[in-house]
Amino acid sequence: MLIPLSWLKDFVEIKLSLKDLMWKMTEAGLTCESYKKVGDEIVLDVEVTANRPDWMSIIGVAREVAAIQGIKLKTRKENALPKKSANFPIDLIPDFNLFDRWTGIAIKNVEIKPSPKWLADRIRLMGHTPINNVIDITNYVMYELGIPMHAFDYDEIAGQIMTVQLSKGGEDFTSVDNLSYKLPKDAIIIRDAERLIDLAGIKGGLNSGIKETTKNVFLHVTIDNSVLVRRTSIALGLRSEASAIYERVPDKGGTINSIKRAASLILDLTGGQVASDLIDLRKEKFEPWEITLTEEKLEKVLGIKIETKLVVNILSKLNLNPRKTSKGIACTIPTYRGDLKIEEDLIEEVARIYGYNKFPMTLPTGRITKNKIPYYFDDSIHLALKEILIGAGYTEAMTLSLISKDIIEKFGLNPSDHVKIENPVSLDYEYMRTTLIPSLLAALKLNTEEKLKIFEIDKVYPSENYKLTVVTKGVDFREFKGLVDLIFEKLNINNYKIEFETNKSYMHQSVAGIIKMGETLIGEFGALSPRVLNNFEIKNKVYCLEFDIKALEKHTRVKIFESVPLVPPQIEDLTLVFPAKTKIGEVVGLIKSVSRLINKVELKDIYQDSYTFNIWYQGKTNLTDPEVKEIREKILKLIEQKFGGIIKE
Amino acid sequence: MQEEIINIKNEAMAQIMGASDVSELEQLKINYLGRNGKINSLIKKLKDVPVDERKQVGITLNLAKQTINKLVNDKHQELIKSLTEKREWFDLTIPGVKPERGHYHPLTTVLKEVKTIFNHLGYQIADGPEIETDYYNFEALNIPKDHPSRDTQMTFYVDDKEKHILRTQTSAMQGRVMKDMKPPFRVLAPGRNFRYEQVDASHGFEFWQVEGFVVDENIHLTDLFGTIDYVLKELFGSDVKLRFATTNFPFVEPGVDTYMRCTICGGKGCSFCKNSGWSEIMPAGMIHPNVLKTAGIDTKRWNGFAFAIGLSRIVNLRYQIKDLRTLTTPDMRILSQF
Repeated sequence: MLIPLSWLKDFVEIKLSLKDLMWKMTEAGLTCESYKKVGDEIVLDVEVTANRPDWMSIIGVAREVAAIQGIKLKTRKENALPKKSANFPIDLIPDFNLFDRWTGIAIKNVEIKPSPKWLADRIRLMGHTPINNVIDITNYVMYELGIPMHAFDYDEIAGQIMTVQLSKGGEDFTSVDNLSYKLPKDAIIIRDAERLIDLAGIKGGLNSGIKETTKNVFLHVTIDNSVLVRRTSIALGLRSEASAIYERVPDKGGTINSIKRAASLILDLTGGQVASDLIDLRKEKFEPWEITLTEEKLEKVLGIKIETKLVVNILSKLNLNPRKTSKGIACTIPTYRGDLKIEEDLIEEVARIYGYNKFPMTLPTGRITKNKIPYYFDDSIHLALKEILIGAGYTEAMTLSLISKDIIEKFGLNPSDHVKIENPVSLDYEYMRTTLIPSLLAALKLNTEEKLKIFEIDKVYPSENYKLTVVTKGVDFREFKGLVDLIFEKLNINNYKIEFETNKSYMHQSVAGIIKMGETLIGEFGALSPRVLNNFEIKNKVYCLEFDIKALEKHTRVKIFESVPLVPPQIEDLTLVFPAKTKIGEVVGLIKSVSRLINKVELKDIYQDSYTFNIWYQGKTNLTDPEVKEIREKILKLIEQKFGGIIKE
Repeated sequence: MQEEIINIKNEAMAQIMGASDVSELEQLKINYLGRNGKINSLIKKLKDVPVDERKQVGITLNLAKQTINKLVNDKHQELIKSLTEKREWFDLTIPGVKPERGHYHPLTTVLKEVKTIFNHLGYQIADGPEIETDYYNFEALNIPKDHPSRDTQMTFYVDDKEKHILRTQTSAMQGRVMKDMKPPFRVLAPGRNFRYEQVDASHGFEFWQVEGFVVDENIHLTDLFGTIDYVLKELFGSDVKLRFATTNFPFVEPGVDTYMRCTICGGKGCSFCKNSGWSEIMPAGMIHPNVLKTAGIDTKRWNGFAFAIGLSRIVNLRYQIKDLRTLTTPDMRILSQF
């Protein structure tokens, strides 16, 4: 909302410097962070929150500025409207579900012409082009007093009858600025005896609008159903100043005042005369209401005791007419303060005018519960995994959850297995990912270095399970597998099974598999399918893994310390030859299982079909050669039996 | 034999005197005085010496051994002394070979700090769904359908029968936690949010927030101010300047907005703070009684406060990142800076 300072000064004196004024307004909730200069004029730009329709007007802002400064509004003498000099019939057929209030008056013999300079200037300051005196006056009074109004060409209202009703949907409507619309269902419209003449709360119709030839005017101020106006304006993509005010529900008690102001300006500037009674159809009386503020509650919520005198003073600056009663401080809420409904609302009024920045600061002194909250989240495994990966040279990325259909298809997945967004910002972000791998593949494109080691821990959808996903390039299989080994070692997960089959079509047919703990699937690891790589035009060899964090968390165990042996181990290398397709990982497991005296086995070297294992024999006392020999022979026997591996000659 | 002893002794002395480092000296000691050293081999030959000469030769040999031993010890001391005192030019500026190590994402780093701060204040961490219902995202927060404040939270709708949405605010966790838990509680709910916004430097449709809320018997506005002040000073240092302003969110009353003196320009005005010198950083307020009532909490007894921290914004302010998209781009030129 734009607020020209000179217009504001019509209603309130300004004592603060511009900078202080802007901050004080902001502190009080009327955010004002910028202004512009137009000639000699300063125009403030204020952000009006959804609860304050009154701030959508110069008078409303002036009331606030007066309260902030602790001064009264300037009084303006309102002349009573002259008696009607004719009796133009007009029949308004209300529907109080659509209009809470409908106030109107007819004016005859107007001369439509350009507005005088002062009026035209102010319309321009509000960012609009002046049109003619009557239309400019309706806009002017809306800006000034905060309730939208509309002027019709009286002679174009067929049958002098106006019925407010809901649209059926599909009606054609041409607005006063000559644009055509197909109306949605349940828009509030006004019909005369023959035609649709107004899209209420949003725009007037061309057919009944003010023209240069207009002689007689019907002027009305309505309080429209806020929900319906909002729905219609969203459906049509037509957000006007009027609709922004109606959505906030303007002052239901203020229609008479607005129409009198506009009518007297019209009489002054067009030479017209009043031609009807002031019509006022209303659902109820719309009178001020009472709220009582108790000082106990005020102190409980604010945490400080504000003197009664000061509380009363603040409330009275806000025109809330505070009175001490046996129950507390009773306030009478003016109709323009529809946002004040409950005691807490009054507490905010006191606090904000008192000044938020005058409050002391404390920390809550309450109990701390020992119960776990719902949705309690222990992220220690997330942090542990990040620590492991970063220590191993992998870099953490965070990527978007929304991906395109194209990416899903290139990845060999089916879009229909993904959560779809009904209103995506673009087709690039239409689906929610079921794997993080494609998002990290983007990293391969962005990074031209030979080697890339990147990971992400994030949710997949719709399960919202967290996954650990790693993508590498320029890393050989054993180095990549070393990361898998490291993760399991650091989480102290033993006895996991590697299976050579994965049902993930984006993984490589041979160089990929799954890891399971019992029946729990931990996840996939290995190379990506050549087809997927080709689809993404990636030429590097890519290894990746995706593990389910919950599954890892379920099986991780605290490491139990083993005491350090007092005697040195005996260490030897054994080189064996194996037939093709031997699972060397299982050979290592077998060697370890042969004796409790074997405390470490490592694959030291591979040459063609021969594998060298580095074996540590460790007893509580020094092992003798015959003892080691016995274990060694058992190893060799079992390896030959189970894997057909024999010692290399 | 006598002559041989003298020769060996002389040879040893010459070599020991000429030793240039400790390890060479150690080797010489072994060569002469070791079990198979030259002196020992002479001792072994002693039995071949005629008996009448044997005593004299023995004395000579023993003297030689002592001399060599003393010389070795002296030389050792000397070498250590000279090594200790010697100054030679050495290039300390030569670049090292860095151990390979990855990089934490800045969101992780900052979130970890935020969690630690709130753990100190007795908050527990909650993690809830991003695919949310309209009820928890809006209605439970006193934002009925068709409320104009929904304008600032344009929503993504999921194409499903249940009419799910993607949550626009982590505040959605308020209703979820309150429904299932009796006060008192202190909750911190970090996470990703989605808003329908065209992507540009200052708008992303995915962003991270941390929601916090406290419900207890006697929670005051001053507690909220104090908590915000404590947290932002922990995060940005004790010299941050804060100021509070009134604002309106339907789920708080009174509503609070927090402005922090721009950490980038120090308040002079820059593109980060839109030249105002102040940066809006932590919207908050006392929880609206309607929110508590909706969750079945007795507002006569309990009240509370709630706040939101824009995690993406804090990361951007701390590292002076101007383009929001930076955080979600997996580019090593970005990630390796953190």
